[in-house]
Amino acid sequence: MENINLALTLLIAGFVIVFMVLVLLIIIITIYGKLIQTAQKRSNKRKEKKKVVAVEVTEKQDRSNAPYIPAVQDDEDEIPGEIVAVIAAAVDALYGEKPHRVRSVKRSGNRRSAWGSTGVMQNTRPF
Amino acid sequence: MDIFSQLGSVIVGLFQSSGLCHLGWQNYVMIVISFLLMFLAIKKQYEPLLLLPIAFGMMIVNIFPEIMANPVTQMLTFEQVTAQGLDPASYPTSSQLITGAQAIAAGFDPMTLEKVMVGDSEFYKVVYYTVTENGGLFYYLYQGVHLGIFPPLIFLGIGAMTDFGPLIANPKSFILGAAAQIGIFITFIGAILLGFQTNEAGSIAIIGGADGPTAIFVTSKLAPELLGPIAVAAYSYMALVPIIQPPIMRLLTTKKERSIVMGQLRPVSKLEKIIFPVVVVVLVAILLPDAAPLVGMLMLGNLFKESGVVDRIAKTAQNELMNIVTIFLGVTVGATASGTLFLTPKTLGIIALGLIAFCLGTACGVLFGKIMCWATKGKINPLIGSAGVSAVPMAARISQKVGQEENPANFLLMHAMGPNVAGVIGSAVAAGVLISVLK
Repeated sequence: MENINLALTLLIAGFVIVFMVLVLLIIIITIYGKLIQTAQKRSNKRKEKKKVVAVEVTEKQDRSNAPYIPAVQDDEDEIPGEIVAVIAAAVDALYGEKPHRVRSVKRSGNRRSAWGSTGVMQNTRPF
Repeated sequence: MDIFSQLGSVIVGLFQSSGLCHLGWQNYVMIVISFLLMFLAIKKQYEPLLLLPIAFGMMIVNIFPEIMANPVTQMLTFEQVTAQGLDPASYPTSSQLITGAQAIAAGFDPMTLEKVMVGDSEFYKVVYYTVTENGGLFYYLYQGVHLGIFPPLIFLGIGAMTDFGPLIANPKSFILGAAAQIGIFITFIGAILLGFQTNEAGSIAIIGGADGPTAIFVTSKLAPELLGPIAVAAYSYMALVPIIQPPIMRLLTTKKERSIVMGQLRPVSKLEKIIFPVVVVVLVAILLPDAAPLVGMLMLGNLFKESGVVDRIAKTAQNELMNIVTIFLGVTVGATASGTLFLTPKTLGIIALGLIAFCLGTACGVLFGKIMCWATKGKINPLIGSAGVSAVPMAARISQKVGQEENPANFLLMHAMGPNVAGVIGSAVAAGVLISVLK
């Protein structure tokens, strides 16, 4: 009987402690995640402003040397610079010498394209 | 003629020392079981990295039990040492004073012993030689398991291999990691009802955490005598995750729930990943110091990886160190399954309860997944709940596989990794609770 009491106590205590510790972790991780995200967004915005100013200056100086300037509209999802560069290169490869400009790069939402799905499927097949 | 009789005695001696003479039926049963485990490891590839050394250790100890023999220290007299053909000068000595009556009772002739007077009493001085016989190879390797050294080292390697990104991106996964631990505490009650002692019940229940190193760590602290059956049960169930989990997952979910496609996880910055291990250790070690060795080493390994400044150490932890410890842990855990000790009704009870704990953990994870699915209005696929029972990364792969059976374009793997790694932390926390309450 004494052991049963201990077992029930352990069930409740264990349940509560495990959940409590993990819920505390959820709270802390969510808070510091948000803090870091906001801080990084701010610093990114500052960097972008500097970039835009720099780009405007070069545009004024010499327009003929700049066939296109990728003006990136990040919105909320930050698209890394490398990805933008790759997209711009792909556009350039497609349009060739025709005058063109990448005005914005936006995520297409959560749905994957057929190509994307095939790629992910290939990568996760071993699992 | 002399040669023939000598040859005859050599052959008889060899036969008598061979397994054919001294092995019991239990040993033969265990050898067959080890063959079965080897088949599962090699042919079916169920966790071969662990199952293969375990099966081999199991086989070898049942053929040659002396490989696990404890070292023996004997206190021998001069006559006994010389009778064994040993050189007394090469052994340390210690002397003891005994009375005449004690000397006669111990078989000494007092006349041959040196007489010593202490006050008015007459004593005889007996000199003993300390003759130590070394233990078997596996005995020494097993000390890493017995003293609870290997499990934290394995955790160091796991930490260095684990990407906590999916968990940081979706911290709610922790709930599923915690839910899957409920099986541990429910099984504890079952074990008590079946008549196990509280410390034994705690060690059996932790099998439900589906985490081999954690199970070994808890058992080495609470019930070291049960290490063999518990470690074998824990690792076998981890290897059998692909067989045990899917039926439970299908039983508890609807087709519609299994087909839920989850949204992409947000990218997690490097800074967040670096802060995570430090925060977890500080919080867990302060609240539950008994979980500190496991969680501490897990997070140290992760900090090595995420900091990016100690690449060499991180690589050693996740490759060489991890592999070496896995070999030692595997063979010696297998070697604890010697027939006479293993084939007992108690072991059957442990294996049955372990399976129940494992199934309950899976079921609780899936059920909490359903609750979260309902709470988020269908944004969470309940299948990822079953990954809350550690068994990294096998349990997450099973979530992915079962999800893909319903919808081939559904990729749950990264979503399931969140609860999966949360389960590792959760089972270490549950281990801390068991140790602190039952020790």
